[in-house]
Amino acid sequence: MMHHLTDETLQDYASGVLNSSMETLIACHLTVCPVCRRNAILAEAIGGLSFNDNPAAEMKATASDILAMDKTVPEAHPSSLQHVSQPAISQPGVPRPLARLLPTTLDDLPWKSFGPGLKQYNLGSQPRKEGAFKLLSLDPGSKMSKHKHKHRELTYIISGSYSDDIGHFKAGDIADLSAEHHHSPHVDSDVPCISLIATDAPVQFDSLFGKIVQPFVGI
Amino acid sequence: MDAPLLQKAEGPSEATQALNQRMRDNLVAIGKNRDEQAFSDFYNHFAGRVKSFLIGKGLTEAVADELSQEIMLIVWRRAESYNPDKAAASTWLFTIARNRRIDYLRSNARIEVDLDDEMLEVDEDDHMTHEAQVDLTQQSVRLEQALLKLPQEQRQVMHLSFFRGKSHGAIAQWLDLPIGTVKSRIRLAMQSIRTEIMTAESE
Repeated sequence: MMHHLTDETLQDYASGVLNSSMETLIACHLTVCPVCRRNAILAEAIGGLSFNDNPAAEMKATASDILAMDKTVPEAHPSSLQHVSQPAISQPGVPRPLARLLPTTLDDLPWKSFGPGLKQYNLGSQPRKEGAFKLLSLDPGSKMSKHKHKHRELTYIISGSYSDDIGHFKAGDIADLSAEHHHSPHVDSDVPCISLIATDAPVQFDSLFGKIVQPFVGI
Repeated sequence: MDAPLLQKAEGPSEATQALNQRMRDNLVAIGKNRDEQAFSDFYNHFAGRVKSFLIGKGLTEAVADELSQEIMLIVWRRAESYNPDKAAASTWLFTIARNRRIDYLRSNARIEVDLDDEMLEVDEDDHMTHEAQVDLTQQSVRLEQALLKLPQEQRQVMHLSFFRGKSHGAIAQWLDLPIGTVKSRIRLAMQSIRTEIMTAESE
């Protein structure tokens, strides 16, 4: 069974209210999951219908004003066109929204160890209280301390697999967890489990040990 | 505060269907013939609604007005890229408005699937013949019907979340409900919509 995005996360994605870390991670899963892609399109269609549902606010300009602007206002280059020029290093298991953010292959990344068999590569530059955006590589058999999340934690599995209280997650799956979930993932594949994680608030470890190492790990 | 997602209690009228069709034709005419009349009609229906959408998402009146003008300029300039077989006019406009708002609020653009990605898992439905594809105006009518059939409490959370741009946490506070209840209403609503659309398609 494939693990999918929840409806409320897809709705937030379609509405455009998530940060770019979450968007990247969701776009990775949508690349490999036609089911979620279809649901995202459905959410956009609902968003479109919601236009009809509201009284129109008064506009300062008329349609003719816009046509006049067409002759005077230069074509904007929205940032949405910028990343097209950035080359993405093609490598197995890495969808393009993520590949664009990586300077090199997964093997050659300057990973930082944070425990035996555990390493991470940081992709985000936001302050820790705003959440994390990083790659985790966990060796076979390793286990994360039990923790929960204040708001939302998304995990996209790039390679290998892990299991936790919720289920078994393998490459291409997404784990879409919210504040209700406590979990302690353990890697059950015979290759390292590499995953992309994005949170919107620091995780809350249940154990004292987790709480002590947390500032050094930065999740 | 608790306006339903669609205000009329009866099913979507033929007028709604005609409106969807007209807006679609307008976009096609702008794209093909730079039709100013068609643009004017599109603008008069949608510009003010885009503006109230942006205000609902928390932008000031002045910024919302300016962005709505820019969004309408994008419509005029990019209507050629609109594919009437792929999306309703309102869906296309929604994605432009959403992305323009993101561009305004942050320095990096919205991140989406790259359709040229070697890893793209193609949808079986993409291979359907044209005949098998459901007519899109028909589909938005079904979607409207599905929304209208939702119980009031589900329509309310859908409305607040899409239209008012509120986070699920904010909706929960607003309605004085546990956040879990808000989320389960959204899930139930989306499930009934999917079931409704699939049932309608197989009829």
